[in-house]
Amino acid sequence: MTEALMGTYAVFYREMLIFKYKLMRLGYVFYSVSTPILYLLAFGLGFGSRVQIPDYGAFLIQGIVCMSSMTNSFNMVSVSVGMGRLHSGEFQTVLTSPVKASAIMRGLVLSGVVRGLFASTMILLAGLFVFHVFPFTFVAFVALVLNTAFFSAAGVIIGVVIDDMENHAVLTNFIIMPMAFFSGTFYPVDFLPHWLQKLVWLLPLSHANKLIRAGELNAETLPSFILLLGLTAVCFTAGTFMLNRYNE
Amino acid sequence: MLLEVMNIRKTYGKVVAVEDVSFSIGRGEVFGLLGENGAGKTTTIKMLSTLATPDSGRILLNGRDIRKYRRETRKSIAVVSQDMNLGYELSVFEVLYIYALLRGIRNSKKLIDETIAKMGMTEKRNSKVGTLSGGQKRRVMAARAMLSGAELIFMDEPTIGLDPAVRREMWDIIRQMQADGRSILLTTHYTDEAEYLCGRVAIMEKGRIVSMDTPQSLIDCAGAFAVDINSRTLLFRDNDAADDYIAKESLTGHRVRRTKLDDVLVSSIGRAV
Repeated sequence: MTEALMGTYAVFYREMLIFKYKLMRLGYVFYSVSTPILYLLAFGLGFGSRVQIPDYGAFLIQGIVCMSSMTNSFNMVSVSVGMGRLHSGEFQTVLTSPVKASAIMRGLVLSGVVRGLFASTMILLAGLFVFHVFPFTFVAFVALVLNTAFFSAAGVIIGVVIDDMENHAVLTNFIIMPMAFFSGTFYPVDFLPHWLQKLVWLLPLSHANKLIRAGELNAETLPSFILLLGLTAVCFTAGTFMLNRYNE
Repeated sequence: MLLEVMNIRKTYGKVVAVEDVSFSIGRGEVFGLLGENGAGKTTTIKMLSTLATPDSGRILLNGRDIRKYRRETRKSIAVVSQDMNLGYELSVFEVLYIYALLRGIRNSKKLIDETIAKMGMTEKRNSKVGTLSGGQKRRVMAARAMLSGAELIFMDEPTIGLDPAVRREMWDIIRQMQADGRSILLTTHYTDEAEYLCGRVAIMEKGRIVSMDTPQSLIDCAGAFAVDINSRTLLFRDNDAADDYIAKESLTGHRVRRTKLDDVLVSSIGRAV
């Protein structure tokens, strides 16, 4: 194993160990998936038969899977970096080690992807139990990986720039939550006023939702795939740059 | 010289945290930075450990500018921070294993177990860090620095909050590191610690170094004899000078004793620490 890979593995392994210990506390699992499952039950059972969307159960599951992958990967990584930097000082141990910034970034993003995929799996299983459908394809998996990678990379950036964990809560309330509600999680983006649709298509989650629901890469979905891939690359590069230039 | 610090300055907005600080550390030397809270000790360590960039000045490690050779610098240093930055959910072994990976140490398991044994922590190898006492956590942090193989170790208040017996155990560990050929930059509030461990000390106040020498030279320079008068302490170059002053002022209820580094620190920064 090269030194860079060892560095990536160190960061990833640490995050996974902490994740494992958290999973062993059942309260954590309940906490991390309770809200999305609540949405699934409330919207699915409450609106399900009244909404003019064919197979609304599957639509809702896909949307909530996408939303959960975003919130879990973003929150887990940004909180880990933010808390580690501002409170415990654990992140400084990583920064003062000889590991390259890109290797640190890789480890953190990978850990965010795993956490996001775990939450998504829980929602898919809950959906299977409630609606007896499993609306998942290989393209949906690729879209989820990209979505979690993008939001994990964004989580690193936020974790590095915030100077107080209260700012993290503000960012979550004003950016992540609106994105969750407007990007096609609970209803198609087409339902929104025309002017708002234009804004919503600037959000990465809208494209992730589109990809997850499309089930295949075609002329219509390829731009969303390329956009999500590009945004992930940009965020990853920006995060690496910020870790490289880290200055207290 | 292993480390050369030349006129470094660091500001945060309008606050000058460190101003015109210069010193050097030789191989195998334990160098102490003394001063009260906010004197600039931790900021100095942050700059030396590449976490903060100085506004001006230069820092050379092995003759190379640490801003240009960040990775090489990080290979040569280890930081024992003031915070217990270990990860409470992890076991002692896991903490050290992850650190070994970060340092690029291959096949580290045997080395980790040896280091744990050296620290007298074998029975705590698989214990969660969160269940350890303050002293044990500090030992794990020191174990991490030992494991790193770094030639220069920054220890930021490594004995803060520890009881006297555990503090002395930490002193032994620091001495062991020095015996292993490591250089150490130690910041501390405790003058007895600095006197016992450090070859040279620098006293910092308001971001500046106000005096720097061996503990004994600082004491001799400030005055080898101290006269305690209530809560005040006056320093005199010798016993006769102290006696003359006592007679001249017709003092009663005073005490004459040898000056300690503590007295030098108080007289250097103008108030008790």
